[in-house]
Amino acid sequence: MTDVTITVNGEERTASVPPETTLLKMLREDLNLTGAKVGCDVGDCGACTVLVDGIAVNACLMLAGQAEGKKIETIEGLSTLEEYHPIQKAFEEVAALQCGFCGPGMIMSTKALIDQGEELTKQEIKDALSGNLCRCTGYTKIIEGVIDAYEEITGKKVPEVNPRAA
Amino acid sequence: MADDVKVKEKEVTLESLRKADDDLRLPAVPERTLFPKEIGVAAAREQTPAVGQRATRPDGRLHGLGQTKYIDDMFFPGMLHAKIKRAGISHARIKSIDVSEAEKMPGVMATVIGKEIPVNSFGPSYQDQPLLADDIVRHAGDGVAAVAAVTEQQALDALEKIKVEYEELTPVYDPLEAMKDDAVKIHNNESNVYSSKTIKKGDVEKGFEDSDHIFEATFTTQMVEHVPMEPHASIAEWDANGRVTIHTSLGRITLGRADISRTLELPINRIRIIATVVGGNFGGKNEITTEPILALLSKKTGRPVKSVYTREDEFISSTTRHPFVMEYKTGMSKEGKIMARKVRLVCDGGAYCSWSETTLGKACILSAGPYNIDNLHVDAYAVYTNKTMTGAMRGFGAPQVCFAYESHMDDMAKALGIEPVELRLRNTFHEGSASPTGQVLEAVVVRDSLEMATERFGWQEWQK
Amino acid sequence: MKPFDFVQPTTTDAALAALAEHSPNVRILCGGTDYVVELKHVAQSPGVVVDVSRLEDLKGIELTDAGLRIGAGVTHSQIMADKMIAEHAPAMIDAAHTVGAVQTRNLGTLGGNLVTCVPSMDSGPTLLALDAQVTILGPKGTRQIDLAEFFVGVRKTALEPDELLLEVIIPSENLGKPAGFIKFGLRKGQALALVNAASAFRIEDGTFKDVRIALGAVAPVVMRAVKAEAVLEGQAFSQELISEAATVAVSEAKPIDDFRASKEYRNSLIEVGTRRTLEAALQLANG
Repeated sequence: MTDVTITVNGEERTASVPPETTLLKMLREDLNLTGAKVGCDVGDCGACTVLVDGIAVNACLMLAGQAEGKKIETIEGLSTLEEYHPIQKAFEEVAALQCGFCGPGMIMSTKALIDQGEELTKQEIKDALSGNLCRCTGYTKIIEGVIDAYEEITGKKVPEVNPRAA
Repeated sequence: MADDVKVKEKEVTLESLRKADDDLRLPAVPERTLFPKEIGVAAAREQTPAVGQRATRPDGRLHGLGQTKYIDDMFFPGMLHAKIKRAGISHARIKSIDVSEAEKMPGVMATVIGKEIPVNSFGPSYQDQPLLADDIVRHAGDGVAAVAAVTEQQALDALEKIKVEYEELTPVYDPLEAMKDDAVKIHNNESNVYSSKTIKKGDVEKGFEDSDHIFEATFTTQMVEHVPMEPHASIAEWDANGRVTIHTSLGRITLGRADISRTLELPINRIRIIATVVGGNFGGKNEITTEPILALLSKKTGRPVKSVYTREDEFISSTTRHPFVMEYKTGMSKEGKIMARKVRLVCDGGAYCSWSETTLGKACILSAGPYNIDNLHVDAYAVYTNKTMTGAMRGFGAPQVCFAYESHMDDMAKALGIEPVELRLRNTFHEGSASPTGQVLEAVVVRDSLEMATERFGWQEWQK
Repeated sequence: MKPFDFVQPTTTDAALAALAEHSPNVRILCGGTDYVVELKHVAQSPGVVVDVSRLEDLKGIELTDAGLRIGAGVTHSQIMADKMIAEHAPAMIDAAHTVGAVQTRNLGTLGGNLVTCVPSMDSGPTLLALDAQVTILGPKGTRQIDLAEFFVGVRKTALEPDELLLEVIIPSENLGKPAGFIKFGLRKGQALALVNAASAFRIEDGTFKDVRIALGAVAPVVMRAVKAEAVLEGQAFSQELISEAATVAVSEAKPIDDFRASKEYRNSLIEVGTRRTLEAALQLANG
């Protein structure tokens, strides 16, 4: 067993885990942060997406020890009791999620994307979320939610795209 | 005088009591109203105030916050993890199963094999599926043994130590091959065809004689897996009153209770199923998978037992969409009117029946398409093969036949030189048309939708 | 996963020492996008896993006298964002863009892609077409070999068990060389290559010079289509020659039939891929 210390959602936490534990397993089972999900466990579906030092990664592919000392952000850290995060608010308002399982991963990828501060087109949004699979929605509402959140957070508009061209 | 009043009051009271008494002797059911009677039905396509309103989903907020608890997010004190050993061979007789080495592995608390299950068969139509194969393995994803251990890795390690001796049997994978008389029989029946349906309407042979053109084509569709984002998961535990509580991703609670009651020989009122928010079902979570096995493991260990399918389990051991082989023969008049249609559907029914009967029925009725066909003959068969079970999936047989009859329509339109939408408009159902099974249709909007859709999609512009 | 010991050295010397100390039951881990998946499926524990993802010597992208140096631990996302690569070898960015999805590119490294050495690797063809070299670090110091020599077979490289891949170098004479890359997959993202291809050449005095055509996923290792190159090398430029080279490339490759694509389809993709990458390089050559 090794002790791994990470900063999660602003809080320093330590867990004692066997070395072969993934970051995903440590978050879910030792730190009780079950937002990130096990969808495939091999880095294909994105349901386990969390931010490590601000970049989106599949937590199922990172060993806990590799996260030592790093700053991790999970879905549980976005909203506070006082403030509803714009991405989560947008997703609720457009009814972006159905079963909800892909939600945490989708939203964390969205946060990483918007935080990069680049100007985005609708196609770029779609490309950036290609690592997050959803089986319920067909992605339409999710993309709408991302666009609403992007426009709310950055104050910029995503250029209109002919729906048949994209 | 006061006495008179009292006597009067007493009489009134006695009278009302007598009436109350008589009322009790009235029939307990109201008088019967005989049919036909007026039933108030809203006019077809009458809009209700709800249509066009934006509705936010009540669960959307918690989903977005990551607060929704799915089965795998639930942890109970002392909970064990269960894993199932998959056969890995498509058709075999089990000669022996030895779990003794597995039971000695660190962390292993209990094992279960098929022979320990009181009634080792279940299924929504035919109870032909074992919870754990104890005699014959019929597809590579068939479970043969289960282990409950303190950690998932310990359970997986223990699976490796389970020794199963197989006598390989010849597998059959192609449903057309499996239909043959000399094919290997997967369920020891006379035939691998386990369900068949027929629709006969009018006289197809005469219809073909009257046709100017006959078109024949065969269409096939492939096996598809639902891939719900959340894998199948369940947790079983018992209480002091001998009742089992199962938290599960299963979508059909009553059916599940009935199956668990049957397989465990437990009265149904001792079975409580809590179906939680599910991470996608699409038909794949419509029947039990590991629930009775977990109940047995939990009973043996006295602890809650959880099982979560891996993504591989989802592909090889959970139900899939039926592949179909669809043979169409359609007789057309030169004006593009369907005179007769003959269809043969062969539904690849996988290793076990699951929802194949229902799928076959739907496919059979819908195989003619939304078209007026006076002379119709459909023969449909569900056939066992040594592949993953085929069960309910969004559409239940409709998507497969729709692919066939619409592709067929396009092919015929091209051959006849008639515009594809026009060919359909000449044949679609209209108000009062009869379905293949004789149901008189009301509120028929096929023509309207087709015309509206072609306009909205820019069909005419796209043709240029 | 089977249990293993985890070591996180902070210097390359410590990493080499760990390799030596725990040999032969020791494996290297960096981004983990291939190796952690493998760890989840192996029957035996690897023994000791050495995490090299924090070694400074494996990071960074610099212009040196030898050429453009890219650390083995540089991620695909870092490659996509790098201005020097955009200027001197933009086809590498096209290749990096096709790897998996954002999350994979944020963790996965160039070195990992090369060392895992599967025929369909996305970074191989472009680097081969640019005559890249690799620097290998061992207990006795560094050695430099051509990338073509580095690829030995399926999942087999020229690395000895006690060695580490340090960096990839694109020789200075090939910086800015016109090159194109293409990948064909069943999807635009999260797809293994059915066929990938890269071409590079210069046009000097109206003739093809220093032609390189590299194909991936059509042989045990990423390969050079040398016969196709010979069709063009030293010849006067013509559009017909490009088409001819594309056809010849098909004859040199040995694609397989599998559930993703048939041999016939792969052959047609080789022809299209060769032609399109040659044309992409041509566009750059013509300015």
